[in-house]
Amino acid sequence: MGIFLIRRLNLFIATSIALIGVLFLATSLFPVSKTVALAGITSPSLAQAQQITDDYQLNSSELGQFIAYLKQRLSGNLGISTSSQHPVIDELAVQLPATIELITVASILALLLGVPLGVLSALSHNKLTQNSIMVITLTGYSIPVFWLGLTLILWFGIKLGWLPVSGQLNLLYQIKPVTGFMLIDTLISNSPYHISAFLDALKHIVMPAVTLAILPFTVVVRITRSAMTQVLSQSYIRAAEARGLPTRRIIMRHALPNALLPVLKQLGLMLGPFMSYAIIVEVIFAWPGVGSWLVSGIYQRDYTVIQGGILAVSLLIIFASILIEVIYTAVNPLSRKELYASH
Amino acid sequence: MGESGSGRTLLARAILGIPEPNWSITADRMMWNNQNLMDMSQAERRSLMGKDISIIFQDPSNCLDPALEVGEQLIEAMPTNKSLPFWRRAKDKKLNAKNWLRKVGVKDPERLMSSYAWELSEGECQKIMIAMAVAHQPRLLIADEPTNQMELNTQAQIFRLLTKLNQLQNVSILLISHELEKVAQWCENLTVIYSGQVMESGPTASIMSHPYHPYTKALIETIPDYDESISHKALLPTLPGSPPALQHPPIGCRLGPRCPEAQKKCVHQPKLCHYKDRYYACHFPYELEQNNDDATS
Repeated sequence: MGIFLIRRLNLFIATSIALIGVLFLATSLFPVSKTVALAGITSPSLAQAQQITDDYQLNSSELGQFIAYLKQRLSGNLGISTSSQHPVIDELAVQLPATIELITVASILALLLGVPLGVLSALSHNKLTQNSIMVITLTGYSIPVFWLGLTLILWFGIKLGWLPVSGQLNLLYQIKPVTGFMLIDTLISNSPYHISAFLDALKHIVMPAVTLAILPFTVVVRITRSAMTQVLSQSYIRAAEARGLPTRRIIMRHALPNALLPVLKQLGLMLGPFMSYAIIVEVIFAWPGVGSWLVSGIYQRDYTVIQGGILAVSLLIIFASILIEVIYTAVNPLSRKELYASH
Repeated sequence: MGESGSGRTLLARAILGIPEPNWSITADRMMWNNQNLMDMSQAERRSLMGKDISIIFQDPSNCLDPALEVGEQLIEAMPTNKSLPFWRRAKDKKLNAKNWLRKVGVKDPERLMSSYAWELSEGECQKIMIAMAVAHQPRLLIADEPTNQMELNTQAQIFRLLTKLNQLQNVSILLISHELEKVAQWCENLTVIYSGQVMESGPTASIMSHPYHPYTKALIETIPDYDESISHKALLPTLPGSPPALQHPPIGCRLGPRCPEAQKKCVHQPKLCHYKDRYYACHFPYELEQNNDDATS
């Protein structure tokens, strides 16, 4: 297990360096001078230009430049945003938690609804139930997410007026950011109206989270169903029945843990599309996260923001997929069998 | 006993009550303890399983959950001691599990209980399955080819264990096997099944010495006689052909196409006849007339 963890850490570091390398190459392709693309200052003074040249070693070889670039980026210097003139890292620190909050809520929603529905569809021998669940998942799978988001806004936000259509929190509430996660911040805030602020934040997150959750939800239902059907036909389930265990216990204790492992693995593979869906959803609902920030950065030719956003999103995906793989290996005793063989 | 595909495992699962969802079971009468098993609900059947009727399967390592430690599954299968307060029951179950493992001949229960099923050998897994099966002191233990895929040493251990259980713990054992020699050695009563039909049934010794049914006779003849010298490369006597596909069984007696004694009458299903303590289903049984003649003369 120790060797496995070190290998995965290695993988993380190697992939991240490769990613930064690609970003570095892309920086030199931007249609502005290199100093602007790197630091984000449009008209630097002589001293600032000298400072940038020193920081990024612009007079040395390509390799020297890359090492200097790596040093700057890893030390947290992402330049300043051309449009807002704030350091990119500070903006990122505000935006990233909002994205993570949205993704977390959406994944929890997808898992909480998807797993029971998948189990239900695997357990039922009723053709009607099975088919209707399949129809629902297939529909959800094929609906374009931007259309769904706009329809939800139109219906629940405008016609019925139940839910707020954009943003993270009503402007009435002034909540001091502590963790950056609005749901947590409103709860721990000591302002007198923090409960109503929490409810408001909850209302704001419902529609984006539902929109984002649809795709992983359908995937989770389908994988859970197939994994569960497969597990239920195994002889250890027969044996557990023959031992006289009640059905609920067999499903909860023996079938579900075995069936959830492939679901976990598939979630790791889903991260890339999930993240790009998150960006679309953030733009639709004006969610103040990395996605909408990145898209507006692209529109405004804000090169430092583009670099910072891509770096953050990609690192998040790499980290999460490796984390999921480590969790998978840790909770799945069968994967340890493979580890024995490979080392 | 019967060859593979003859429906032995189906019979075992039907008796226990764990059919696949697409099976339907019909029986004239299936009695347990003066109760009709066919009339019982699924929940009642389930409460009988593991308590009164237990089963051990032919692939023990697949019958243990691969994602749970063996010990946890074993403890789960142990009976709860209702006389103890609930906070001491878990400990009692663990102790119980260890004791049963020792009883079935495991030397180091601690190691076994903290390992996973795929880390153990088939023999060890089968011992664990037996420990689980007998923990509730069942009255009937169905052993479905318990020594399949095991080496001879382990086979002998398992059979010794089953004999001991049978004699000391008062457990009836329904042994399902395809090896006639094994069955002849360990069983009191023998039922021969072919393609889902009972061919012959009765006390082992009398069947082995005087088979009535052509199929039984053919099976006994396939056991090589080591006393007489068999000529080099001689063929063992077997029935011609192979068992029929179960989608299209032959009409009447299913042995018909392969039977050396088959005649026109065999397209009608023979009834199960009763003679002394033996049952057979054949229109032309061996030795019966001769025995009758002996009895009258």
